[in-house]
Amino acid sequence: MKDMTEDEKPDRNGQPRVLPTLDHRKDYWVSGRLVYLRDKGTAAPSDSQLQSAAAEHLKRSRDPDHKLLGFPVVHDLHAFGRKPALEEPPRILNLAELASQAVDGLDYAAVMNEMADLGPDGRIALFYRDGKLLQHQVFEEPRICEDIARGAVIHNLEVKPQDVSGWRTHQFSIDFKGCLGEVCARCVRVCPENAIHLRGDGASSFCEIDPTACKGCFICWVECSRKSADCILVDGKVFDSEMRAAHFGE
Amino acid sequence: MRRSLAGSSAAAWGFRLSRVDCYPYYPITPSTSCSEQIAAWVADGAMNSVVINVESEHSAASAVIAASKSVRAGTATSSKGLLYMVEVLENASGNSLPFTIFVGNRATGAPINIWGDNSDAYAVRDSGYIQIFSGNAQETLDDIIQAYRIGEDLAVRQPAFVNLRGFTGTHTYEPVEIPGPKQVDSFLPAFMPLEPMFSPARPVTFGPMLSAPYYRRHKRNQSESLRNALEITEKVGKEFGEKLGRSYDIYEWFGDRNAKLVVIMLGESSGAARSAVSHLRGCEGVPGLALLRIRLFNPFPAEAVAKALYRAGAEAVIVLDEGLAHGDVFPPLALRVASSIHAHLGAGAPRLVSVIGGLGGSEIRPDHFQTLFNLADNVAKGRPYRREPYWLDIEEDPILLTDPSKVKPRLWKRYGDIWKAQPILPQYHRALPTTNYEIRLFGRAGQGAITSAVFFTGAGIEKGLWVLTKPTFGSERRGAVVHCDTLIQTSGAEPTRSFAGRQDMVCIYDDTIVHSAQHAPAAALKSDGVVLVNSSKYTPNRIRELLQLSAEQAVYVVPASRIARELQLGPYFNMAMLGAMHRVCPLVDFEDAIEYYKGNVPAPKEANLEAIRRGYAETTDRELETESAPVVNELAEEFFEWRPEEESFEMATLRSLETPRGS
Repeated sequence: MKDMTEDEKPDRNGQPRVLPTLDHRKDYWVSGRLVYLRDKGTAAPSDSQLQSAAAEHLKRSRDPDHKLLGFPVVHDLHAFGRKPALEEPPRILNLAELASQAVDGLDYAAVMNEMADLGPDGRIALFYRDGKLLQHQVFEEPRICEDIARGAVIHNLEVKPQDVSGWRTHQFSIDFKGCLGEVCARCVRVCPENAIHLRGDGASSFCEIDPTACKGCFICWVECSRKSADCILVDGKVFDSEMRAAHFGE
Repeated sequence: MRRSLAGSSAAAWGFRLSRVDCYPYYPITPSTSCSEQIAAWVADGAMNSVVINVESEHSAASAVIAASKSVRAGTATSSKGLLYMVEVLENASGNSLPFTIFVGNRATGAPINIWGDNSDAYAVRDSGYIQIFSGNAQETLDDIIQAYRIGEDLAVRQPAFVNLRGFTGTHTYEPVEIPGPKQVDSFLPAFMPLEPMFSPARPVTFGPMLSAPYYRRHKRNQSESLRNALEITEKVGKEFGEKLGRSYDIYEWFGDRNAKLVVIMLGESSGAARSAVSHLRGCEGVPGLALLRIRLFNPFPAEAVAKALYRAGAEAVIVLDEGLAHGDVFPPLALRVASSIHAHLGAGAPRLVSVIGGLGGSEIRPDHFQTLFNLADNVAKGRPYRREPYWLDIEEDPILLTDPSKVKPRLWKRYGDIWKAQPILPQYHRALPTTNYEIRLFGRAGQGAITSAVFFTGAGIEKGLWVLTKPTFGSERRGAVVHCDTLIQTSGAEPTRSFAGRQDMVCIYDDTIVHSAQHAPAAALKSDGVVLVNSSKYTPNRIRELLQLSAEQAVYVVPASRIARELQLGPYFNMAMLGAMHRVCPLVDFEDAIEYYKGNVPAPKEANLEAIRRGYAETTDRELETESAPVVNELAEEFFEWRPEEESFEMATLRSLETPRGS
């Protein structure tokens, strides 16, 4: 690497990051904006192989006068050895929580003094990689309203289900006599609110709509394999062309 | 590692040392060279980063925001480019995503204007970003590193702008200390995202829709975290000093501790104010005075500024804005200072005057501050003053009344009484010192003349001198006359940024420029100054006549075009001129400089080095001793014939009768 001083080079610990592909015989690695494919089960490339691949790429992207062809492409082979910066979110603890547990590689006295100086809003963020403490930061919790996440980010799995029945103007239900059950289950997959569940198994299975989670969007009705003939009922009735005209203006 | 760098390149070093992982950009003057430099480093493998060539600033901002969820990201822009980003900018501050944008401040037009003022930064002042204004190239480098540290602090976690005035800041070559990567790493830890990228086990939603009760609670949190940047910036500035040797505060106080008169401003133009303050301090009849340069513009350090003014016992405060108000009471900086002192000092607040200047690349010179301190003195004495902004350098609407005949009559009705009550105090208007060594180069565009000045600067800086080179831009039509100023500091301990505008050396790159009445190349030459001309056509005496120089002013000629031709360098004679400059300028030793050039001149290396040596050797103040016919610089002659620089008919006739020596 031209011009890069020894201190500037990133660490090269770990193996190349291999990601699964749709082609089950291949793996691919991503480097910068480039994607490389290789046969599954072959050994990870060695350092020297990576170097020569870089040199080859550099040669191909330049004309004989060493001028760049096209726009600059990243020849960043270190990215192979680079792991994602974070595999799990940082653990954020207050003084009491920190005091009640042992964290390896932390200067407790200094950190706790720092946190005590900040008062009740003193927090520590612990960033882990491979189970090892990578970095920590002591800070004062900036939020006044702590029920709102920083940056209003929503952690989807922590969201409690809400009763949205008030949003809809019609009652939706599935007539289990017409439903094909697990043979189809199309409505289960297309429901944006995850409000339709498959009940029972085998020939006796059928789909059911959770009335508190259904917001009445009509998607299941449009997508139903049986064209709703006698399957998805709106206000207890088959959704016929008249109602369709009233709702979709057709 | 001390190097000669322009402001934009210093910004690029800031990004490189911060180990930016992702840099999407769309180029726009005057911040382009920052992005170009980074793209070149990444292409050469010198920097480990992903550069994305996007199709607009809007996309650049979108990409930088998306990247900053997972990695350290940055970009650079200016003027309309920044305005084009506005639509997405608030997504970063609202979603608490830290990254840094370098802004080469430029006017926003219409009319189109590529030069520096703060309009673009003012336009985004409410977008929730941290805004830092740098005073020079060194600070820009340091501020970008610090901006990452401040923005990524968990008490803040907000994006930041680092601002530097276009051209006078971004394109001035000056000495910059580049810290080592290890040193920077010890100060700036690796970027840590708060959410893992694309983790199926932990899905997250960025940018959700929030209804009123949640929205207002979120905005309360957001404004609190931006406010925390006040404290964190102060802390980070101190720590930067401990680890890298240059500490920074949220504002800079330059001048007397008990200043009665204070000028408040932002950014690079404060260099001129420093010169004026140093010049006026301690003069008879001048009370204590100071410059208060705000470094952290957003969040605005209201309490700190009010306290500083109160401690000093300030009586009159002049706020200079390089941007417009467009219908507001005051322009943004004056507005912020006015509300700060009103809120924190109440009846004890000093009187405040707003001044607008430096628009669209207008010069801000030390003598402007002489006028402003004179105005402040009048205001402090209780004389009447304007409650709306004053303007710098508008003859029809002056600050102090010098020539009543030029004043627009309708303004008499509004301001006549104020003008009459404001005396001009001679103690503020003593001539500024012209003790530094200044060089002005006249050449024809492209970049040849500027390149040689940049080399000369590099050699001077290598030697440990404080050298600045400020090219002028805007008329780079091929063949147009351009000039470029270089300053070598010879007096005063404080590094200066301000040119006095009187030259010790005027260097003329082709002899057709001698005829240019419009450029009058030797008009500001000092009485003992030197003129250096590339000519084998005119004798020194003839040049002396043409430029109407006095006997004390010396004239040297160098046949640079002939040297270049003999060395087969074609029309590139700037290296020969570089050698000649060393012969005339006593401050940068030629033998030391040639060592520096050996490592730096472009190909063909040997021929260029030989051109420098011959340029040095063949410079003379006598007639050239040679038999051969003069070498005419055909390209220059052609440009001159095509568009003679406003030459009068008489002059043209006389010139056509001129007999080149030797023919």
